[in-house]
Amino acid sequence: MPLRSSDARWGALAQFFHWTVALLIVAQGAIGLSMVEMATTPAKVKVYALHKSIGLTVLALALLRLAWRAADRRPADPPAMPRWQVRASRLTHAALYALILAIPLSGWLFNSAANFPLSWFGLLHVPSLTAGADPALKALARGTHEALFWILAAVLALHVGAALKHHLADRDDVLARMLPWRTRRASASAGDPAR
Amino acid sequence: MKRLVLALAALAFALPAAARDWNVDAARSSLGFVGTYQGEAFDGTFKRFTARIAYDPADLAHARFDVTVDLASAGTQNAERDQMLPGADFFDVAKFPAAHFVSSAFRRAADGGVLADGTLTLRGVSKPVTLTVKFAPAGGGATLDVATTLKRLDYGIGGGDWADTSVIADAVTVKSHLVLTPAGG
Repeated sequence: MPLRSSDARWGALAQFFHWTVALLIVAQGAIGLSMVEMATTPAKVKVYALHKSIGLTVLALALLRLAWRAADRRPADPPAMPRWQVRASRLTHAALYALILAIPLSGWLFNSAANFPLSWFGLLHVPSLTAGADPALKALARGTHEALFWILAAVLALHVGAALKHHLADRDDVLARMLPWRTRRASASAGDPAR
Repeated sequence: MKRLVLALAALAFALPAAARDWNVDAARSSLGFVGTYQGEAFDGTFKRFTARIAYDPADLAHARFDVTVDLASAGTQNAERDQMLPGADFFDVAKFPAAHFVSSAFRRAADGGVLADGTLTLRGVSKPVTLTVKFAPAGGGATLDVATTLKRLDYGIGGGDWADTSVIADAVTVKSHLVLTPAGG
């Protein structure tokens, strides 16, 4: 698979960013929702540290992904796709990019205002965004972090639903061209320069 | 009258010699600690403590520190941590509301600095502790800076699951800055 995207298919780097971040978002949702229920023990401290480390990873990957996207090209939309769907997909993708930046940032802010230390997997110290504890900002950042997560869950449902609709109902290659393995549909379209 | 003055003078000399007594200016003094949480240093303070200080750098034999710390007054600028500190796993203030340090002897270290040996009683455990002492006259008063490093697990602070030193390091530095004013006006 070429590193760069083509008109017909997402490249290896775009796919790497897409699926890695997808996996990390699912993991973060599961960890985040369960860790808040834990009793206060060192185990909880360690699970929180893991959640924070993965969140920082998502933030870094999101920035790299946006930079790569600016340099890379975007596969063409299926010609049969109505304009409102094109607009809806652009809006959904913009929201997803904004959320994978804003959710880690709000978590970082929450952590800073709570005056907890922050490190990336214990390897790299990450500075605080605030000058010490700030109870009002902490409450605001916590609420924002949680609300944005639920908005992400809703936008993701739309994103996954739309991808499946393209694949199963429209029977186009919108989903197939983001898959690391070659499906007959993606191969057919990739090999058809007339599209 | 003359006899009375002489009697009083005799009485004064008969009293045990004491190093100079000081009052502590609570508003300008602090007592705190530096711990390590998840590899990062954090500062704690005790808002309430009383310190009885008798100290004269020229008369260390009669110097004496007697400090009582209200453990419930500990704060570390972190709501979650501050909620846990008074609990049974940490200071257990319900059973042990105060920590107490009393000096037993002062001596000169090899580097010329002053060391105060004494006993710290914390969470029901009494252990010998040595403080470094820096005394600096300032105007009519003085400042006194003391510090020492304790092992929190020696005193059972953060026992059970919290004994994990990768989360909270064992070593805790305790330090105090006191602003002293002459006692008795």
